[in-house]
Amino acid sequence: MDIAVGTSLDRIVIFAYFALVMGFGAYFGKYSKNTTDYFFGGRRFAWWLITISIVATGVGSHSFVKYSTKAYQYGLSSTMTYMNDWFFIPLFMFGWLPIIYYTKVRSIPEYFERRFNRTARYLATMMTLLYMIGYVAIQFLTLATALYRIYNIPLMLTVILIAIATTIYMHFGGQTSVIFTDLFQGFILIFAGLLLFFLGIQYLGDHTALSGLKAFWMNLSPEEKLPLAHFNHPPDFNFVGIFWQDGVAGSVGFLFLNQGLIMRFMAAKSVNEGRKAAAFNVLLVLPISAIVVSNAGWIGRAIFNAVPGALPEGLAANDVFVAVTNIVSSPGVFGFIIAALCAALMSTADTLVNASSAIIVNDIYRPLAKKVKTEKQQLEFARWTSVAVKVIAVTLVPFFNSFDSIYEAHGWFHSTFTPPLVVGVFLGIFWKRFTTPAVIATFLGGAFLMILGQFYPELVSPFSHGIELRPGRGYSYIGALYNIVVCASVGVIVSLFTKPEPNQKLSGLTIFDVNKLKAIFKGSPVNEEKGEDLCVNWVLDNTEMDVIRFSRKNMALMKANPGDLVYIQDSRWWLGGLKSAHSIFGEPHDEDGIAYINPTHLDHGQFVKGLALKAEKEM
Amino acid sequence: MDFAQTWLPFLYLYGVGGIAFVLGMILILRTKALRVSFDRHKKWVFVLLYGFIFYAGIHAFFIYLAIGSQ
Repeated sequence: MDIAVGTSLDRIVIFAYFALVMGFGAYFGKYSKNTTDYFFGGRRFAWWLITISIVATGVGSHSFVKYSTKAYQYGLSSTMTYMNDWFFIPLFMFGWLPIIYYTKVRSIPEYFERRFNRTARYLATMMTLLYMIGYVAIQFLTLATALYRIYNIPLMLTVILIAIATTIYMHFGGQTSVIFTDLFQGFILIFAGLLLFFLGIQYLGDHTALSGLKAFWMNLSPEEKLPLAHFNHPPDFNFVGIFWQDGVAGSVGFLFLNQGLIMRFMAAKSVNEGRKAAAFNVLLVLPISAIVVSNAGWIGRAIFNAVPGALPEGLAANDVFVAVTNIVSSPGVFGFIIAALCAALMSTADTLVNASSAIIVNDIYRPLAKKVKTEKQQLEFARWTSVAVKVIAVTLVPFFNSFDSIYEAHGWFHSTFTPPLVVGVFLGIFWKRFTTPAVIATFLGGAFLMILGQFYPELVSPFSHGIELRPGRGYSYIGALYNIVVCASVGVIVSLFTKPEPNQKLSGLTIFDVNKLKAIFKGSPVNEEKGEDLCVNWVLDNTEMDVIRFSRKNMALMKANPGDLVYIQDSRWWLGGLKSAHSIFGEPHDEDGIAYINPTHLDHGQFVKGLALKAEKEM
Repeated sequence: MDFAQTWLPFLYLYGVGGIAFVLGMILILRTKALRVSFDRHKKWVFVLLYGFIFYAGIHAFFIYLAIGSQ
């Protein structure tokens, strides 16, 4: 079907959007002074900034098309995957998050080395990189497929142009640029998705005798109003399969293994801010995102039922997003909504590229480099690595383009690379008895059994919950249950037959030590007394010691002692911690309302002369 | 609409998912990763339970509405 390719105004809107994001992202380059800043944003941001940037990361360009398709075919149950993430939140917030934050692991593979050994790290590195770079390639392909029809530029050239655009701002800014452009793009995404819903409701109101919302509701069948799919039917969209693939493997994979997400949480100023970001994201933002990515399909279904002939005859479900956007929006608005699709791609791709680059630097370059490299050299290497990751992703695009659909390619990736890592990290955190040979066996033996399951679907049948087997295509979603079971079985059996790790080696790396992590992080006893946050003026002290000195009275109000950890930030809350620094309380002085900072704090925090700082005791 | 289309997915989701959630809560409480004796942690117990009920409530509400619209 030939559908809208936009007007000149739409093309200008999309081009202007790209230019705006590149300029916005490049501006934040000045906040990346070393690899910690480049990858983790300097552990300084407020929860709300992290929350919105997570939205933009979670909603990929494929999300709009994929969920609209399912929404058009099955109605409200398209939201299932956005609303089944709460079950593992307690373990994430109070288990995994404090472990990664306080042990200062820089990547998921690094955790595997600390918890197990270097071989486990390299295996995890390989799997994670393959997964993430492939994901970037899929994102490029999705957006290029939409854009090349609008601009009439060949598909591969469009892919290259998109890669260059995202490279420009990421190259200089790293994680700080990623967070701030994602903040901006997260708002754009949500606004554009809700705007589309509003326009669709208005369209239905104008073309039926009912009010818009009522027309929308009345023109969905009872089955299409159900929030969960049929238990085990049809094979390509059923509740139980999607529960195991997305609700279990997907949720654990996203929360515990997505290096991009983990880095986002590590950019939070504290663990508690990370918890707030996670809770707010899952409780409020995810349900809104579900509406944002699905509503084109719901509107399309209601239009199809209420206004015969409005949608093209024989409309393919995959085309419903563009078709509905074209019908309900005017020139310019269409361009804006496609720009939101660009926002989805750029924000997901930049996170994954930055995460892949972090893994290459932390898990390949640093361990293998023969000479110790300076921070400047490492930062330069990190920047060029992100370029290399994009080049590899671009070369992979033709491979993914050879799949029947982007979703098939995406599903293949997800089900092939996630389960061994999910089982490895989950048992590693929550089962002390899980051994190093067991994790290696999980990666290798589990992967072998998973491949067997792909070739012999009868192995998956005992787990099928009555889902019909499609000849030649196997089980699509419930295969995740089989994969998890075989990987976990290998891990448990090998653990029981091998020698447990000594407790000393596991210190701080499992949930059983979480209550000791703060002391490990601080390096001395934790001060949990609750004090006040204070506004102070800063004065530059030309010392090299990493301490900030406050007055005796101010320290008493903060209930702080010399040696405790302190966080200072620009007092303008809306900067979300962009201008901030962490340090240690030094010996007190007698000038109330004055904080002495050193040149490193000033350089890192980019504080403005004459503007007060907000200081708080951390622990 | 039959049971396999309406309440069975709901019961499975909050049954199996509920087991994962409850085991997770027990684990973080028993390992003292979440300490109810800390004021800052007390509110998190409430938030975690609220989240579970919130999602179960939304799903139950829409199933009820869909059944009612037959």
